[in-house]
Amino acid sequence: MSQAANNQILTTDGIPLKVSLKKAERKNKIRAFTLVLPLLLFILITFVFPIFNMLARSVDDKQINTVFPKTFEIYKKWDQSDLPSEEMYATLFNEVITADGRQIGKASTRMNYSKSGWKSLIKKSKRQFKKIKEGPYKEKMIAIDKRWANIEYWKALGQMVDPYTMGYYLNAVDLTYDSNKKIIQQPEKRRIYNSTWWLTFEVSVLVTLFCLILGYPISYLLATLPLKFSNLLMICVLLPFWTSLLVRTVSWIVILMQKGIFNSILVWAGIIADENRMQLIYNKTGTLIAMTQILLPFMVLPLYSVMKTISPTYMRAALNLGAQPMHAFYKIYMPQTIPGISAGGLLVFVLAIGYFITPELVGGSEGLLIGHFIAYHLKTTLNWGLCSALGAILLAVMLVLYWAYNKIVGIENIKLG
Amino acid sequence: MIKSIKVALLAIVGLAFTATAYADFTFVSWGGAYTMSQQKAYIDTWGPVKSGKTKVRVENYNGGLGEVKAQVESGNVKWDVVDGLPVDMINGCDEGLFEKLDMDTWEGGKYSASIKENGAGSSGPISECSAPQIFWSYVVIFDPKAFPGKKPTRMKDFFDVEKFPGKRGVHTWPQAVLEMALVADGVKPTKVNSVLQAEGGPDRAFAKLEELKGHVVHWSAGAQPLELVKSGEVVMSIVYNGRAGAAILSEGASFDYIWEGQVLDGDWVAIPKGSKNKAEAIEFLKHATSCESQAGQAKYITYMPMRDCGTKIIKANEPWFHTGVDVLPHMPNTKRRLKKSVFTDPVWWADNNAELKEQWTAWMAGNKK
Repeated sequence: MSQAANNQILTTDGIPLKVSLKKAERKNKIRAFTLVLPLLLFILITFVFPIFNMLARSVDDKQINTVFPKTFEIYKKWDQSDLPSEEMYATLFNEVITADGRQIGKASTRMNYSKSGWKSLIKKSKRQFKKIKEGPYKEKMIAIDKRWANIEYWKALGQMVDPYTMGYYLNAVDLTYDSNKKIIQQPEKRRIYNSTWWLTFEVSVLVTLFCLILGYPISYLLATLPLKFSNLLMICVLLPFWTSLLVRTVSWIVILMQKGIFNSILVWAGIIADENRMQLIYNKTGTLIAMTQILLPFMVLPLYSVMKTISPTYMRAALNLGAQPMHAFYKIYMPQTIPGISAGGLLVFVLAIGYFITPELVGGSEGLLIGHFIAYHLKTTLNWGLCSALGAILLAVMLVLYWAYNKIVGIENIKLG
Repeated sequence: MIKSIKVALLAIVGLAFTATAYADFTFVSWGGAYTMSQQKAYIDTWGPVKSGKTKVRVENYNGGLGEVKAQVESGNVKWDVVDGLPVDMINGCDEGLFEKLDMDTWEGGKYSASIKENGAGSSGPISECSAPQIFWSYVVIFDPKAFPGKKPTRMKDFFDVEKFPGKRGVHTWPQAVLEMALVADGVKPTKVNSVLQAEGGPDRAFAKLEELKGHVVHWSAGAQPLELVKSGEVVMSIVYNGRAGAAILSEGASFDYIWEGQVLDGDWVAIPKGSKNKAEAIEFLKHATSCESQAGQAKYITYMPMRDCGTKIIKANEPWFHTGVDVLPHMPNTKRRLKKSVFTDPVWWADNNAELKEQWTAWMAGNKK
């Protein structure tokens, strides 16, 4: 009776049951893991890695440090009161001459962010430097282009001495470094990002609010009407949802322009005079109207699916017990729809904050939201550092909102259906 | 039954794969009437296409270097030839995103000279990577019906909201607007670049722009300004001249141009670095920029060839437009118009683009009166 003595149960082939079970379980675990492995890899490759890459780009400032290392060594000793010494000119000269053309291109693009003009200065000089065989370099470089005698260009290098920088984040909120890496405000005529951030948030919050105000009654009707009518109503909600975004945007232009349908009806009805046609498009009003209509289904669908599950018996019970209809609706029905409101609100807000095609087409100068500038720097100035910083801030805002939401409402209270 | 469906599906998938395998050469441009003119002038007429050896796949994009940079940096270059703006050609060549071209050996060395001859103000190739395409311009148009009395004729009139009341259509980026403001401020078109690039030049342009504050509707897509003018939303607008030409010649729209103070810019073609068909792409560029191809494009769009030899063919063969009307009256760079035009300076814009875009955005934000 060794079995009892050891207090162990054995399987038929003599292995302790515990071990055998563990083995089987491990097999199952491995199998389960292999099943989710493709998904895990997919998320890693398409989600985690790009985000990490984006965050890295937003602080990376090595494009230039690795190309002109010696110049920066000397730069650190320069007192910035007068033009740099012959030694610094000569060092930069040599580093420009020896560096690979593509690296110079990248470096000069980076230098141009801190002072407009570096790009063409380096490019022009690189071509002409070949003619200079010996010193004094300072004199000869200034002869090629008088910008070499402009101390502002040299001072601008100060922003780039370290391989990592917060400069892009500063630019994203209208700040910048001076030549001693002290944080200062951008010159007034260049301050646009703070106002753009506020405009973006304002538009997103308002659109979310309007969607809620419009979407709530619609969803209520959808959930409570008899099937015959609610199906028709559902089609009315879904049909625009299936229509191309551009078609819907352009339709709004046709409706809202000064000589468009809406204004013409008002004039025809005698509500406004012909010369007082309202400016409803190419401004914030147009942006809000068009975005609300386009994002409305994202509010209605989650709300509807939650309302559909609310049993009418609760309301009946409340009314039965003597509650006023409004009071019963407010106390009994509304709280049960909070998961739907949260899901719809969050969905609309997240979509609105990154929107840029619709606002750009209907918003005129007030339609340039933060998404526009991300696209602009991504494609036109190739300032991917600033792009990443703008994107990272957007991401951070979303995470803060998520955290706040979790604290106040609780994330388990979100429901998409 | 199910089995035969499966077989059919497999066959379709297989066909789709072979179809994509044929499309081994990708040409990327702006789409619409412009791409159509390129297709007819030199894609369909290219030797390897005619013989069926190569199939050219045409893709559209919105300009900028974002896609090219992403392809080159990831080492997965899918585009073979890209049509783009001078600014992008210069930046892209600097950053090593495009292949270098040795154009001096093309057509027995006559090549670069031919670009310089035309243009007057264009100084020949802008970068070592790009071959010439066409000139186009930002030009002001208006609907003559909006002005029953005196009609606007000069850039000054575009900025004069007292004499010619009504809203103006202006795009949402600073290129060309600053040059136009300087012309309206009395700077001779040929002197605009030196004034703009001197100390305080942009500020002078912005000061002039103050006069337009509260009278501007901003557009961001090339088709918008034509609609704005047609619908009466604005009385005048800055437009791409090719769009206006197409509306007038093909759709019978009644727009008038203000040629004075127009801002000319070019379009160039280049090969992304690491293209899998580099040798073929160079042959394609030679064909695409030949005198005949250059002239052929003007049959379908009112953008003028960059090479003089192309213009000569058009002149000798008017009416040249495919509908049987003269095309030169709608071309931005005839000799007479050139004297009153500004050539945008891509090098200077490449330097100052970011900073001026910020200043321009700040200006637009203040444009609510």
